[in-house]
Amino acid sequence: MKPAVRIQQEDFSQDEEIKALQTSSKRMGGIATFLGCARDFSEGREVSEISFDAYGSMALSELKKLRDDAIEKYGLLDARIVHRIGTVKGGENIVFIAAGAEHRVAALEACRWMIDELKQRVPIWKKEVTPQGDSWVTPHP
Amino acid sequence: MIRVLFFGPVAERIGSNTLQAEYRPGLRLQDVRDELAAQYPQAFEIVCFAAVNGEHVRDMSLPLADNSEVAFMARFSGG
Repeated sequence: MKPAVRIQQEDFSQDEEIKALQTSSKRMGGIATFLGCARDFSEGREVSEISFDAYGSMALSELKKLRDDAIEKYGLLDARIVHRIGTVKGGENIVFIAAGAEHRVAALEACRWMIDELKQRVPIWKKEVTPQGDSWVTPHP
Repeated sequence: MIRVLFFGPVAERIGSNTLQAEYRPGLRLQDVRDELAAQYPQAFEIVCFAAVNGEHVRDMSLPLADNSEVAFMARFSGG
């Protein structure tokens, strides 16, 4: 089975990630997921692709801590996080987060918390490639 | 020697992903930041976070050991 936390260039399968999560416990009553995708339009401009840069070793270590923190804070049975780097075209997948818990509230809240925290503490940067030129993305609040 | 790493928008403004800073006893994270910010003011305008050996550091008075890996980073935009 693939590791629960990964940074990779290639696309991922949501089905495989959810199956892996389900395999970890039969006590799981709720799984919440978040899928982040590349938009092909941003700030009034067409975006052809998004290019990512990351502090790879720190980003992976922060993602692992984030998963551990979410499991502890929300009493999850398991969680998985996959983030792509390299170049991602409009409409393609960027990030997948899944939280599994005994009940839905913990799963839903943990999933929301993980994507919000990821944006605050994981050293990854995205650059939008547009016909008018490239620009690094200014984070949204 | 201190290895200083830059990524994304900061690396673009500096024109490099890595620089070296000379180690001296008593050297603090703030000293490295001040020296580099004087040389690359445009890059350091957008620096919001620092890390030492892959860990977030908020206390800029942290003393650095020789051969430390330091990163000065812009706000993150992953996800």
